[in-house]
Amino acid sequence: MTWKRALIPLAAMPVIALLGFGLTRDARLVPSPLPGKSAPAFALSTLAGDSLRLSDLRGQVVLLNFWASWCLACIGEHPLLVAADRRWRDQGLRMVGVVYQDTRGNAAQWVRERGGDWPNVLDEGSRTAIEYGLFGVPETFFIDRRGRIVYKQIGPVSEQVLDTWIPRLLADSGPAVVSPAELQVGRSPGYLRTSPDFPATQGTTPRKP
Amino acid sequence: MSRSLGQFAVLLALVLAGVGAALAFAGARPGRAPFFIAARRAAAAIFVFVLIAAGAMEYALVTHDFSVRYVAQVGSRATPPFYTVISLWSALEGSILLWALILSAYTALLARWLGRHPDRSEQTSGPLTLGSLLVVNVFFLLLIAWPANPFGLVSPVPPDGPGPNPLLQNNPFMGVHPPLLYTGYVGMAVPFSFAMGALLAGRLRPEWPRAIRRWILVPWAFLSLGIVAGAWWSYEVLGWGGYWAWDPVENASFMPWLTATAFLHSVMVSERRGMLKTWTLTLIVATFLLTLLGTFITRSGVLASVHAFSQSLIGPFFLVFFGLVLLGSLGLLAARAERLKGDGRLDSPLSRETAFLLNNLFFTAFAFVVLLGTMFPLIAEAVRGVKVSVGAPYFNQMNVPIALALVFLLGVGPALPWRKGSWTLLAGKLRWPALLALIAGVVLALAGVRSPLAWLTFVLAVFALGLLVVEFVEPARVRQRASGGSLVRAVALVAASNRRRYGGYIVHAGVLLIAVGIAASATFRREGEWTLRRGQAQIFSGYALQLDSVWAVQEPNRDGVIAGVTVFRTGNVIDRMYPRLNYYRISTEAVGTPAVRPGPREDLYLVLMAYANDGSNATIKAIVSPMVTWIWGGGIVMGLGVIFGLSRGRRTLTPVPPLRNAEMGQGGEVARAGADAG
Amino acid sequence: MKKRTAGVLAGGAVVLLVFAYLLWGGIGENLVYFLTPTELLAKGTAAQGANLRLGGMVEPGSVHWDAERRELRFRLRDDGHAIDVVSTGAPPQMFAEGIGAVVEGVYTPDGVFHSHNLMVKHSNEYRPPKAGEHPAEYYRQLFKRQQS
Repeated sequence: MTWKRALIPLAAMPVIALLGFGLTRDARLVPSPLPGKSAPAFALSTLAGDSLRLSDLRGQVVLLNFWASWCLACIGEHPLLVAADRRWRDQGLRMVGVVYQDTRGNAAQWVRERGGDWPNVLDEGSRTAIEYGLFGVPETFFIDRRGRIVYKQIGPVSEQVLDTWIPRLLADSGPAVVSPAELQVGRSPGYLRTSPDFPATQGTTPRKP
Repeated sequence: MSRSLGQFAVLLALVLAGVGAALAFAGARPGRAPFFIAARRAAAAIFVFVLIAAGAMEYALVTHDFSVRYVAQVGSRATPPFYTVISLWSALEGSILLWALILSAYTALLARWLGRHPDRSEQTSGPLTLGSLLVVNVFFLLLIAWPANPFGLVSPVPPDGPGPNPLLQNNPFMGVHPPLLYTGYVGMAVPFSFAMGALLAGRLRPEWPRAIRRWILVPWAFLSLGIVAGAWWSYEVLGWGGYWAWDPVENASFMPWLTATAFLHSVMVSERRGMLKTWTLTLIVATFLLTLLGTFITRSGVLASVHAFSQSLIGPFFLVFFGLVLLGSLGLLAARAERLKGDGRLDSPLSRETAFLLNNLFFTAFAFVVLLGTMFPLIAEAVRGVKVSVGAPYFNQMNVPIALALVFLLGVGPALPWRKGSWTLLAGKLRWPALLALIAGVVLALAGVRSPLAWLTFVLAVFALGLLVVEFVEPARVRQRASGGSLVRAVALVAASNRRRYGGYIVHAGVLLIAVGIAASATFRREGEWTLRRGQAQIFSGYALQLDSVWAVQEPNRDGVIAGVTVFRTGNVIDRMYPRLNYYRISTEAVGTPAVRPGPREDLYLVLMAYANDGSNATIKAIVSPMVTWIWGGGIVMGLGVIFGLSRGRRTLTPVPPLRNAEMGQGGEVARAGADAG
Repeated sequence: MKKRTAGVLAGGAVVLLVFAYLLWGGIGENLVYFLTPTELLAKGTAAQGANLRLGGMVEPGSVHWDAERRELRFRLRDDGHAIDVVSTGAPPQMFAEGIGAVVEGVYTPDGVFHSHNLMVKHSNEYRPPKAGEHPAEYYRQLFKRQQS
């Protein structure tokens, strides 16, 4: 009789396992097929007026950072990018900013105020953003020397993310450095969070019951 | 400054909670009373330190100390002071701090209560109960100290922050609703601790439920109010004209309410008849587990449509704690079930016990339906690897019949006596309510109520309300015959003489109001949407809506676009309404504020959907929802019922004697109250 | 006594079974699958007729609002494919080209997704203002009008 009783708690195990599985998912993310694939090519004009083609940077490690002047999280991550640029540029890191849904004037002013002298291109019509499956800004794509996206950061980058990926990508000169299992999408803890009693809304669009 | 103070206070509270729990458990042995006293003091100290931590955070928020991580996350200089203060609960870390504050307040109150009433402490295995609650404290303080630490340092210090979530800033009601809900949600830890204490001690006195009645009813009332308040907030802010969408966040608060309500009823059976003891304890444990589960699924990004925190450690922490509580309490229940076996049995199918049993069955089924619907997306992804969501129709199809059955039970239950009833007696009691319901049914059908579900809800509600009136008036008439006076006075006297019972009936009346409000607003809702030029009017459901103008306003924390709409009815201007769209600095997404014209018969609800940039036209959506206000009114009535039920009568130390007569005597409570006063 | 227990157990089992059946049916009927355009196209005809959620980005230049028929047409795209969407009712104020959107509705054999519920994707931290301007500029005209 007693040993049968011990089975009752065991019945709880599937529930715990299910929740544990849930933890490994991010329900909000529709899986991105991008990591592991070649970074979509683009040729866009920079804020300075030159033309920049992603393919010209092949052979270098590229950090493609989508941002906008109206984006608050971008302000937060910018100092990290400046520091990363200073630290790793000599070793072959190429930083490229892609300005999303913004005007040339606003973006140029923003860069003047906050520093950073890497090229920023203007993505008119958001075509490049769409090719990269952007959720919003900031988002940062880490591209290896072979032109493959190895990591995609949704939301602002953290020091930890930069420290993890950039040295690895720089250290490698040839083919694959990252095993397919590692190819992933990261997401910074949203800096905006709601309390549990906010009925979650899919946007503020009036919802049909 | 406030950073280190808060950090320090949290750590100290954490250590105290750990030590206090150990002391309390040690104090459970006979002859170790000093340990228990020390544990009670620790509980009081924990509250003080968590209060200091929360105060430090408030200070940092109000002084815009952006070196504090949480302030940098939710603060902004442009946010009005009121919203700055309440942004304590606008994001995860702060709301866990609020959670811990409420929990430690409950703990301190419980410790004080146990100290003041040694007899009840004895009845409820006091030290073990306090120890269990302190363990829950340890967990939440650990969360604050580590994975959800709001006091982290931000360097370099940002000059300004983004401000709290726009939805929080959009309605001052956010100052009330989360604390209400939390007080209920967190409070479920207290009955859980009582259950743990009883299970650990391996004994359950019959007077147990009575001793802790207040500790269950208060959190339950707050939870009820919090849920209704949440529905109101959703209605007033989200702009879709509804109040409940079976969203995981809503379900998270509703599921524990369902099991807690089942518990409130089953506990009466175990108190009066010594039955269902293990089941009652299971319901308490389930309620607490569901609050943990709800927090877990809504805060850790497990389910969609909620903000995800998958990279934080909070999820794993919660999972571990949830798993420990689940396994531990199930194990305890299994081990102790034999010892707690009830001695009562069902005498007759026609009895109040049966009504309560069915009540429990339906409430549990209800909770299970909601749980399954909420968790199904996760199950589907785990098993089949597809992303799905469960549509609201599932919840409605499954739950509406259950809810109707519950309304019916609510109508019949009070008319049934304990133990064994007789059909004649029942028929006598139900005669008038049934006649009333019949008349209402015919009238409603003639008046054109075509929806069978709405019709049934109204009829059942009239029936149940009729019976409640009989329950008030009948004993009052008896009393009136004996001592004279007006009927109203007699009703008041009767109600005051058995506050527990009549408080419960008032709560029932509130539930009926809510049921009617839901049925009416869900069935007879009308809506329309038009793009109107300035000056153009639109006829809608007996109103004429005329767009006067569209303009923009600038406020410190937001900009807004407002549409002025004049509302006519039968040719006269009856109101001017101003639905608006707000643009907060933090988000470029527009957050609407609907304009609501509430009324007992129906609400007129206007939403500004879109507008032309030159202000020449605007798209307005209008919704007419009948009787929505009844829902809010019902919530208030429920709250009043609990207050009435708990008022006075609290000095009843003597347990209810096991029932001898078939019918509960109305004078019983008075006699006991008198005995205690002496 | 034993007989009675058995009867109760059997009755309980029947009730449970009926309940489980109803639950299963209820859930099955009301599942809404969430797909991207690529996934939807991969499903082919299997996806037609069911209530679905389709998520993607609004393709620039594809938005067409027919004020008379109160019909909004646009294309939703992910990084592979795009699908034509028809939605009734005016677009919400923050609807714009190049933003993420989720539509709920039915995919019909003519290759068009008929949406009855248009939701702008909820990611409050990363929302661009309409037409790439700062929000304040966006309704500057309204301010001007008010001052005059």
